[in-house]
Amino acid sequence: MSVVKRHLQNIHAWDETMAHTALAAALVHDLGHGPYSHAFEEVGKRLNLGMDKHEKVSARLIRDEEVSEALKPLGSGFASDVANIFEDKMSPSIYTAVVSSQFDADRLDYMQRDRLMTGTYHGVIDFEWLLSNLKVGKVPHGADEEEAGENDTFVLGPKALHAAEAYLLGLYQLYATVYLHKATRGAEKLFTELLVKVVELARNDSIEETGLSQDHPLIRFAKEPNNLKCLLALDDSVISGALSMMAGVKNPLISNFSMRLRDRKLFKCVDIREKLDQKNGFAESEDSEICGHCTGVAKKVIAVRDEQQRIDALAVACKEVEKRLIEWEKENKQELPQILLDKKERSIYKSSEESKGPLEQIMIRLGTGNDNPVDVASVSQIIKAIDPFQVSRVYFDRGDQKTKAVVDQIIEEEAKRCRC
Amino acid sequence: MPVLNRNKSNEENAADIIRDAGGQIVGRTRLQKMAYLLEITDLGCGFSFEYRHYGPFSEELANAIEEAKFWDLITEEEHIALWGGSYSIYKAAASAPLSGIDPARIELIQNAKDANPIELELAATAAFLKVVENDPDPWSETKRRKPEKAEKFLANAQVLYEKLRSVKTPKPLPAI
Repeated sequence: MSVVKRHLQNIHAWDETMAHTALAAALVHDLGHGPYSHAFEEVGKRLNLGMDKHEKVSARLIRDEEVSEALKPLGSGFASDVANIFEDKMSPSIYTAVVSSQFDADRLDYMQRDRLMTGTYHGVIDFEWLLSNLKVGKVPHGADEEEAGENDTFVLGPKALHAAEAYLLGLYQLYATVYLHKATRGAEKLFTELLVKVVELARNDSIEETGLSQDHPLIRFAKEPNNLKCLLALDDSVISGALSMMAGVKNPLISNFSMRLRDRKLFKCVDIREKLDQKNGFAESEDSEICGHCTGVAKKVIAVRDEQQRIDALAVACKEVEKRLIEWEKENKQELPQILLDKKERSIYKSSEESKGPLEQIMIRLGTGNDNPVDVASVSQIIKAIDPFQVSRVYFDRGDQKTKAVVDQIIEEEAKRCRC
Repeated sequence: MPVLNRNKSNEENAADIIRDAGGQIVGRTRLQKMAYLLEITDLGCGFSFEYRHYGPFSEELANAIEEAKFWDLITEEEHIALWGGSYSIYKAAASAPLSGIDPARIELIQNAKDANPIELELAATAAFLKVVENDPDPWSETKRRKPEKAEKFLANAQVLYEKLRSVKTPKPLPAI
C-alpha cells in the first residue's frame, strides 16, 4: 500500500479510507475458510450449501460477527465496505488490486509461506526486488470489444522483467508440485467424499451410521450448514479427531475413507494424461512431414503444428478416458466408489471470468519513460511458452486389480485410437 | 424456475443460446448477461448465477461453453479489441433456430445480442440487484458498484432495459 500511497499522494488522489478498507480486506478475506480449505468448499458445491466459496463465509463473518465489532472504530459501514471488496461489489481500483489481482498481497504472501511450510525449493521469488520496482500505472479496461475507460493498476519497472518471470513461473510450479500434487489431491478427494456422506447421513436421520454423536460439531454443521456458529466450530483438528470415531463404523464409505485418511493409506493415482502421452508416441510419429528436404523454418513450423496437434489429441483422449471411466463406474456401481477422478487446469495467469485485458495480466514498462505498459507474457519468451498445467487423474484402491485392469485397458485403447 | 429443456446437457443448452442468436454471439459478457436475462424471464434452461465483478455470472454456463467447444457444438475465436484486451466470438455448429422455440426467447436474445456489452452488463446487474438482492433502488446501487461504467453508459443501459422489458416474456422482467 505504500507504493500506492506514494503514487497517489503525488497527484493528490490518495484516499485514506479506501486504503484502510483494502488493507482490512487483505487481512480478513480468508477468515471464511473451513477445515481443509478448498476441499471443504467442494463439499459445499456438491451439496449446494451456502459455504461453497470461502469469501461468502468471510463476508458474513465480517458483517455479522465479532469481526464487525472490531472494525467499528474505523467507521460505520466500514465492515460492510471491507466485505464488498471480496464479494466483487466494489469497482476494481488500485486499492482493490492489493486484495485481488494477478499481483495481490495474498499471492505474494502465500507463495513464500507455502514454500516454507512444505519445504519445497520451487517458487522462490525476489520479493524485495519486485516491490522496489513496483509502480502504479493506467491501463484500459472494457467488456467484450467495448472500452470502458482506464484504471490504475500495478505496473513493474523495466529492471523487474526477470523477477516477474520468476514470480509467474514460481507460482505455476507451486501449483504443479504443491497445490495440485497427486497425493494432496488424492487426500482431498477422499475428504470430500467422506464429508459429503457424513452430511447426507446426518440430514437423513442416520447419524448412528457416521459413528459421531448428535452434538459433534460435524453433525451440528450438517443439520444447520448456514449457521455461522456451527461453521466456526469446525477446523482441521475437529475433522482429524473425528476420523478415529468414524473408522470401523457400519457404513462402508465412512469407515473405509476415514481409516484411509487417518492412516494415510491413500488411493493409488494413475495420471491419465501422462500415461496417454507415453503410450501414443505422437512426438516420434513416423507420419511426420519433416523430411530431409525441409528447410529450417519449415521444420520449425511443422514441429510447432505437430506439438499443438499432439496437445489437442491428448486433451480429446483424456476426455474420452474420463467419460468411459465414469460410464464404467455407473454400470458397476458398488458400495464404495471404485474410482475418483481429478480434473483441473491452471494457466500462467489466474483465469478471469469475462474480460481478458491488462487488469488480468502482469504489466511491465520496458522503457524508462512513461511508455505504455505491456503484458509480461507478451515480451517474455519463457512465459509465452508455458502451456496451462492440466490435471487428468484417476484414483483407486491400490489392491483393486479389477479396477486397475479396467483403467489400464481404457487408457491403452484410447492411446491406440489417438495413434490412428 | 421452469426450464427449457432439462433433457439436454449443459453444453447443449449453452450451444442452443448461440444457435438461437442466429448462430453467433460476440463476447463473453454478452453471452453471460443474455443467459441471465433468459433465466429470470423463464426462458432459460436452469443455469445458476451469482454476483461477480461484471454482474451476474454463471460458472456452470462458462464450464458448459468450454465443454460445448470441446465436443464441437460451438467454436470460439479470440480477437484483440482496440482497447487492448481480447474478446471471443462464439459460433454454433447447428444452423438456424429450430421450430417450436418461444418467439420471446428469440426476441430477447436478439435485443441482447445487438446491445452494447457494457450497457447490457449494467442492465443485467440492475435486474440481478432487484431480483436476487431485492434492492429498493437497483440503478443507484449499480452506479455505486460500477461508477466509471455508469458515468458513460448508465442512461443508455436504462433505455436498453426498458426495451428488453417490452418483450412479452413468460415472466416479465421486473420494473426498476
